[in-house]
Amino acid sequence: MTTLRRVVHEVHSVELGPATGYHEHHLVVGREQVESLFADPALAAVRPRLASPGESVRIITPLDVVEPRSKGRGGGGVFPGFLAPINRKRGPDTHVLRGAAVLAAGYLPRNQEGLIDMSGPAAPLSPFSRTHNVVIEFDPAEGAPLPDAEQAVRRGLLRLAVALADAAVDSAPDAVEELAAPHRPGTATGGLPRVGVITNLQTQGAFKDVFVYGASMAGALPTLFDPAEIEDGAVVAGQYGHPALRNPTYLHQNHPVIAELRARDGQDLRFAGVVLCPEPVEQAGKEHVSAHAAWLCQAAGFDAAIVTKEGAGNADNDLGMKVDALEAAGLTAVALYAEMSGSDGTGPPLVAGPRHGAVVSLGNYDQRLKLPAVEQALGGAHLRIIDAEATAAIEVPVAMILGALSPLGAGRLTCRADPPAVGLEEVA
Amino acid sequence: MRLVHYVNQFYAGLGGEDAAGLGPQVLDGTAGPGRLLQQLLGEDHQIVATIVCGDNYAASDPAVSAELLEMARTADAELLIAGPAFGSGRYGLVCARLVAAAQAADLPAVASMHPDNPGIGEAGAAPVVAAGAVARQMRPTLERLAAAVAKLATGAPLTAEDGRVGGNARIGRLVEDRAARRAVELVLARLAGDRERTEVPVGGFDVVVPAAPVDKADAAAVALVTEGAVVPFGNPDRLESARATRWLRYPIEGVDTLVSGTWESVAGGFATTLANADPNRLLPLDAARELERDGAIGHLHGEFFSTVGNGTSVATAKRFGVEWAAELRKAGVQAAILTAT
Repeated sequence: MTTLRRVVHEVHSVELGPATGYHEHHLVVGREQVESLFADPALAAVRPRLASPGESVRIITPLDVVEPRSKGRGGGGVFPGFLAPINRKRGPDTHVLRGAAVLAAGYLPRNQEGLIDMSGPAAPLSPFSRTHNVVIEFDPAEGAPLPDAEQAVRRGLLRLAVALADAAVDSAPDAVEELAAPHRPGTATGGLPRVGVITNLQTQGAFKDVFVYGASMAGALPTLFDPAEIEDGAVVAGQYGHPALRNPTYLHQNHPVIAELRARDGQDLRFAGVVLCPEPVEQAGKEHVSAHAAWLCQAAGFDAAIVTKEGAGNADNDLGMKVDALEAAGLTAVALYAEMSGSDGTGPPLVAGPRHGAVVSLGNYDQRLKLPAVEQALGGAHLRIIDAEATAAIEVPVAMILGALSPLGAGRLTCRADPPAVGLEEVA
Repeated sequence: MRLVHYVNQFYAGLGGEDAAGLGPQVLDGTAGPGRLLQQLLGEDHQIVATIVCGDNYAASDPAVSAELLEMARTADAELLIAGPAFGSGRYGLVCARLVAAAQAADLPAVASMHPDNPGIGEAGAAPVVAAGAVARQMRPTLERLAAAVAKLATGAPLTAEDGRVGGNARIGRLVEDRAARRAVELVLARLAGDRERTEVPVGGFDVVVPAAPVDKADAAAVALVTEGAVVPFGNPDRLESARATRWLRYPIEGVDTLVSGTWESVAGGFATTLANADPNRLLPLDAARELERDGAIGHLHGEFFSTVGNGTSVATAKRFGVEWAAELRKAGVQAAILTAT
């Protein structure tokens, strides 16, 4: 198993300029380079825009978000299956532009409309209100099939993420973080429990798929997976349902549960590894995958597993069945769920879920938020789903804030029945 | 204090399912469970009138609650009581809407319902006290209700100690630790032996008991209903693509098939390309017409109901279900085919 070194270059400010560069925490994004990286017959035009924390900016209809990363010269490349070969022959160093993100925003057929506010009451809820964002607006080419436009946007985002990080590889890093390989089964634990993570990936076809080494996991069995490969972008998002319940590529690159397990490794637990699973749409497939995942965790010597999902409905069933299968196999299981208890929070919290194990609350999907008007909107001029101007003062459910209910556990929202309820704005 | 009591047709003794279409009426004094409730209340409070309405009539249209409230006003109500509805969905929905309307109009009101009654969410901020699940628990239910009425009459708010249910809102808030860290803490606590700890109660899902099979399918009226967001092309009534707040009805009298380009799905939860190429695959009108022609079913109901299931909360979905059941029963429909996506 690989030991990986994250070479961290912090980004404190960003601007658009003639040529890409990185100097003393300042990132310059070259306009012409953006155009050339997104050149594709399916795209008529792309427009790079910027959005930084604290600004009066709203990004609407966001698609995927990617953290700029690079393996450096001769390092073998990141995003295997898309930009790099799937040969696992990569160097140990991964350069990370921490504090920066590249994201696309615009209309696509199955892109449920969401938003990111860079300031105001929704800002504490999205992981991408805290990053300096390079926002790519795009126009599909006349007559181009939209799935082609979507693929062109994704490939462009990944290329841009690499190009920006490439600009920093010769700079002195702000930090170097050593990421050890997971604990090997059968080796001494020092009496600590072996805890791993199972991450379910959505597999529902065009605009509803997540890619592992460049391909959908649909039809695959659960598999043990090297977390170092996830750091290097082996998992790429292409799923545009429920904005608050999405796992953009950025959050796979910075998988929160993996990070928290690593942080406790050797203290309270042993980080036992990562299992990736598809989310089949048929009942028989769900049962098969759940049973296989439980067997795999047992075979890999897990004592416990934290299980994550993507999306809702279908995905809630996958998650519940997996937790029940793990508990039935004698493992301890915890699932991460957003609650859907209605805008007043009095309805049943889960649509479908486990009958055993335990559940971490990610907040209430239906809770309403009042957002003030903003000076500038990126990604579009109109929010169709609520029929409002993109810059207007609006009231929206938490469900619309990108990543606010992060199923990978990036957020700080939770629901409790007591103490007496207060509004989000009172605690934000 | 002058009290007005709301009960459905069954508890007023006006009939069962056959009388569920009865419109609203006012009876003098007590009726049904109101008699025992009056005894328990004693002489300080008088049930001066009982309002009765058939469940299907009342549950199928939210506007009926305004009509019922006006009748209570006309009877000079100082406090309104609704139920007990126990676990009954249509009755509970009406009780909840009525006390919500009364409270909004500054008329003190209380409903009595089982905590799992699907209508309970409609009570909004109005108080609901717990009833048993079934009418066999009438006496203890009315004892609790009488005590709650006496307390409410003094102007004091009802609390959990009075058996108040609902309103136990689970509201999102920001905490120090992100969810991934809390998941690790939770797994460690469970491994250390704390098997009860969880942030969301686990299990406790509804079990739907299937209704008995239709007795004579070849004589039955059958309706088509869907949560697949089937609407006329262009979505003229602006059904939501996710997180529905309402449902719609469309006539299909004389329509044999759903033609692509005339009907479409606006659901946000799945790729609609194939569904829109043949909307019959979401709402099987073509197949149902064939069964109708072959005499396998009596006849197809003249309209279908449509909403979107994608991201719709359980409480809202339950309400839609109760409203659909009331509508279809009122129309004499014996069976419905619900297509889901």
